[in-house]
Amino acid sequence: MQRTSVDHIGANDRVKMKITKWRVYKLKRLLGVFIVMILMLFAAACSSGTGGGSNEESGEKTWEPEQPIEIVATAGPGSGWDTTARMAAKVLEEEGIIDQGIGVVNKPGGGGAVGWAYVHGQNSPYTIFVTSPPMLLVPLNGQSEYNYEDFTPIANLIADYGAIVVRADAKWNNLNELFEDMKKDPESISVIGASAPGSMDHIQFVRVAKEAGVDITKVKYVSDQEGGALTQLLNGNVEVYSTGVAETIEQVKAGNIKVLGITAEERLKGEVLEDFPTAKEQGIDATFINWRGFFGPPDMDEAALAYYEEKFKELNDSEGWAEIRAQFGWDELFMTSEEYKEFLAKENEAMKALLDELGLGN
Amino acid sequence: MGVFEGILTGFQVVFSLEGLLFVFLGALTGTLIGMIPGLGPITAIAVMIPITYGMNPAMALLLMAGVYYGAAYGGAASSILLNAPGESMSVPTTFDGYPLAKQGKAGKALAIAAIASFVGGTISVILLTLLTPVLAQLAISFGPTEYFALMLMGLVMVSSLADGSTIKALISATLGFMIATIGIDAQTGTQRFTMGNVNLLEGIDFLVIALGLFALAEVSNLIFERKQSTDFTSKLGSLRLNKEEVKEMAGPMGRQSILGFLIGVLPGAGGTIASFLAYISEKRLSKKPHEFGKGSVAGLAAPEAANNGASTGSFVPLLSLGIPGSGTTAVMLGALVVLGVQPGPLLMNEHPDVFWGVIASMYIGNVILLILNLPLIPYLSKILKIPRPMLISLIIVFCIIGVYGVGFRTFDLFLLVLFGVIGFFMAYLNFPAAPMLLAFILGGMMEQSLRQALTISNGSLLIFFEKPITVALLTVALISFVVPIFRNWRRKKEDKQTLSG
Repeated sequence: MQRTSVDHIGANDRVKMKITKWRVYKLKRLLGVFIVMILMLFAAACSSGTGGGSNEESGEKTWEPEQPIEIVATAGPGSGWDTTARMAAKVLEEEGIIDQGIGVVNKPGGGGAVGWAYVHGQNSPYTIFVTSPPMLLVPLNGQSEYNYEDFTPIANLIADYGAIVVRADAKWNNLNELFEDMKKDPESISVIGASAPGSMDHIQFVRVAKEAGVDITKVKYVSDQEGGALTQLLNGNVEVYSTGVAETIEQVKAGNIKVLGITAEERLKGEVLEDFPTAKEQGIDATFINWRGFFGPPDMDEAALAYYEEKFKELNDSEGWAEIRAQFGWDELFMTSEEYKEFLAKENEAMKALLDELGLGN
Repeated sequence: MGVFEGILTGFQVVFSLEGLLFVFLGALTGTLIGMIPGLGPITAIAVMIPITYGMNPAMALLLMAGVYYGAAYGGAASSILLNAPGESMSVPTTFDGYPLAKQGKAGKALAIAAIASFVGGTISVILLTLLTPVLAQLAISFGPTEYFALMLMGLVMVSSLADGSTIKALISATLGFMIATIGIDAQTGTQRFTMGNVNLLEGIDFLVIALGLFALAEVSNLIFERKQSTDFTSKLGSLRLNKEEVKEMAGPMGRQSILGFLIGVLPGAGGTIASFLAYISEKRLSKKPHEFGKGSVAGLAAPEAANNGASTGSFVPLLSLGIPGSGTTAVMLGALVVLGVQPGPLLMNEHPDVFWGVIASMYIGNVILLILNLPLIPYLSKILKIPRPMLISLIIVFCIIGVYGVGFRTFDLFLLVLFGVIGFFMAYLNFPAAPMLLAFILGGMMEQSLRQALTISNGSLLIFFEKPITVALLTVALISFVVPIFRNWRRKKEDKQTLSG
């Protein structure tokens, strides 16, 4: 464009300039389209209703949302929290359980801490979030300013369980054989998981191992957060893989791995799943529930809480949600706000004790 | 089902009205989103997920795969024209692509990128068709020691990225290493250098650093150099490649397509390492290494072929093992589960339409992308004709949007500006930015692999000498470290002799 000082241009150049101008115009339009596209992306991602003050009137007994609701997934797209939030939003809307629009917002970072800080700051009945055991573990590890008591548990919906897995050709056929070897020679066995020490995969394993009498401070735990945990089990770099039940099904079907034990109370239902023995039936009295439910802001109004509690109960009983549960292999575990609070307090104690023993508590 | 029958099934899936439509839509969306600096395939696919609800799983995967490799094509445009890479694997594209654009050869650069992408995509999809079952073994053959050796090999070559001073390149790389340690340490769960800030718990995102060091730094540079008439020409230049250029890029394209594919097969390594390694190794192999970084045709073709090869390669672990090899394939896996298809070792038998459909779609997709991209070049290059003040503002806006889109955190924007300032001063003082970025990418993974390996071996270093692949990679690393030193030493000696003689 540096040639276009208007004083010295010939006729020929003028034509060229016209063309250029026209092209610039077209280009601008193209760019305009790009910008609009981006804005649309963001509109889709953020949905409407960020902010949103609480506009319920005091003294009123019932509460109805008057603007769209946002469900915060405190992790990126594709994560467990994100999937739960999106599926719940989908069924809540499709089945007409909640009339308002529901948007899912991703606030990834800090294992959830960034999202929790966001919800805490919003403190609006229109901002709720989905969460699970890291809600207890991350604060206990000293990585979040806010813990579960800083929010209002609304309802728990589903449960998932941990699985302790070895290669199909491994010498161990049940948990007791594995733990016997771990007691004798803890250095020879490495356990891998996809989360950091002191988080889910680690804790579910040590919880079972401790009950079986293993010295959990000697457990060699390797964390692979780049998605290579299963690979490292298959290629023999590690001996044991601690993961979620759902992740194991396809590999078990293919005959690559075997599940020594799962952390559920009793056997699960479904093809393949029903073959997985529980730790309990092997004489190890330990369970680990990967619970997943919805929390509200710190000072949630009673009426708003009652509203959401009822709606999530409806969601839980709906056919659409039953289908989703079946699809993802999630177990039904409904808890009302009161039951949820009690459950969380107990779990929190148990986790704290484990983390303190591991020297990871804060 | 044999390969031949399989691929026929696949083409049957693709050659339906629906199939072709979704491949086209995917490729188009991917290209457009990839062109926007800061928006990469992950964002694109995440946005597509709600659209795929209720779709036939094969079509859904076709669409998402199209977006994925489409973004790898499109990513070249913003790197070449604006020095603003949209995602990590297009960073090496800026090294020679942007200089070419500055010389008024933007059209040629874009054409080279499109052709290299096409070649990379096509060669690798042929490999994918023929070798997937075999390569499943390669995908799981890499343990912590192998990854460590691979990263080390990449890092040793850092000095190749330096234009002048090796010392400056090393200082830059060390900085990158240091930044990589910020965040929660994966092996102990301890916070490192987070200064109590929750926004730093997961470390700094790659995009923040890349856009800061490259795009923002270049923008500041353009502002400061306004007075000097070094304005790069707004000429598009000819799209035509001459015979010499074709000859020059043929070798690198062929080699790096295959290498990129193989690295893409390894879960976790992916397109970024593939494109950096491609660039570095071609610079070493080239007869004209001095042209690299100043607008070398081979230097542009190599990483583009490699990152498209790697995008395709990352489908091997996903399709054959159900293991996502990259963030993007992880999102795809999630989307497939929603549709009732669980990718895993049995996918090929249980859902042959999905498995072969997506492979067949890549043949078509690559052709569509080439046809789509070449005619777009003249229009794209016109970006350079936008008056400078507008262009600069646009780049800044795009950088901000891209970075904000990573985690919706305003904190990242401050970091972006910080890295822009760092990048500007680095350029001013002649510190190369590329080694810093490479060390940042490799450093984090390298540290984790090293510590995983040492945990498994109870602290014994012998574990690094037990596996043939590890030993081979370490040897290559050692050779690449020693040879240049030796060469320098000999050259100096010769110089002395000629001086004294």
